[in-house]
Amino acid sequence: MSDKNNKIPFNEDNYTHNIERNNERKLDRRGFMKTLVGAAGVFAVSSLPWGAVAAKELMGLGEKEYPHKKITEVSKLPIGDAVEFKFPGDHDDAILIRLSENKYVAYQNACTHLRCPVFWVKEQSEMICPCHHGKFDVETGSPTAGPPRRPLPEIQVKVENGAIFAVRVKRYEA
Amino acid sequence: MKRSYLGVIILAAILMMNIVFTQYMVHQYYYENYVNVLIFGGLNIVLFPLAVFAYKKTINMRA
Ligand code: FES
Repeated sequence: MSDKNNKIPFNEDNYTHNIERNNERKLDRRGFMKTLVGAAGVFAVSSLPWGAVAAKELMGLGEKEYPHKKITEVSKLPIGDAVEFKFPGDHDDAILIRLSENKYVAYQNACTHLRCPVFWVKEQSEMICPCHHGKFDVETGSPTAGPPRRPLPEIQVKVENGAIFAVRVKRYEA
Repeated sequence: MKRSYLGVIILAAILMMNIVFTQYMVHQYYYENYVNVLIFGGLNIVLFPLAVFAYKKTINMRA
């Protein structure tokens, strides 16, 4: 038998003997600097996917042609009205606005600030984001007021046999 | 014993650059300037070995 048992109960009045209070939460300069280096590592690693996707786009793999998608019939869209649709994917909100007899504009309407859905206000002839009151020019999609800085991506449309089709998403001019 | 905070200052500066580059990279991505994305992503990655280097160089320094 070891002499361990002879010492139980402990000969002390410290009931928290297994907690080493001193230095338990010590954050010294060395530890702090290690944290900073770790944070730099996190930044480096999280840059990788962005670089990968950008490289993919640069090599032209992202230039997919999407099938033309019918949005609506011309007869169902009076002048000055707007209709929402999805393009190119099922989760990419977009909006089509009929400005005049033969003039249509379409944009991906996720606000370029924080992606709230931008909607068309006929009375003010403006596209407005409800979240922080961003406004966009309906002719070009460029931001005119509020937090957004980047224009809405424009969608090219075409009219064929009395129906309106979404053709592709335009790229920003470099 | 006197301490040197030079390392802490350098690392804080590196982290600040990390934040700026990341922000810029993300925005350039949405602007579809993919070359800039690669440049700033690369800079972000280069900053990490730099941070390790700065740590090693300054950790035992006494000023
Ligand atoms: S999300 Fe549209 S203005 Fe902020």
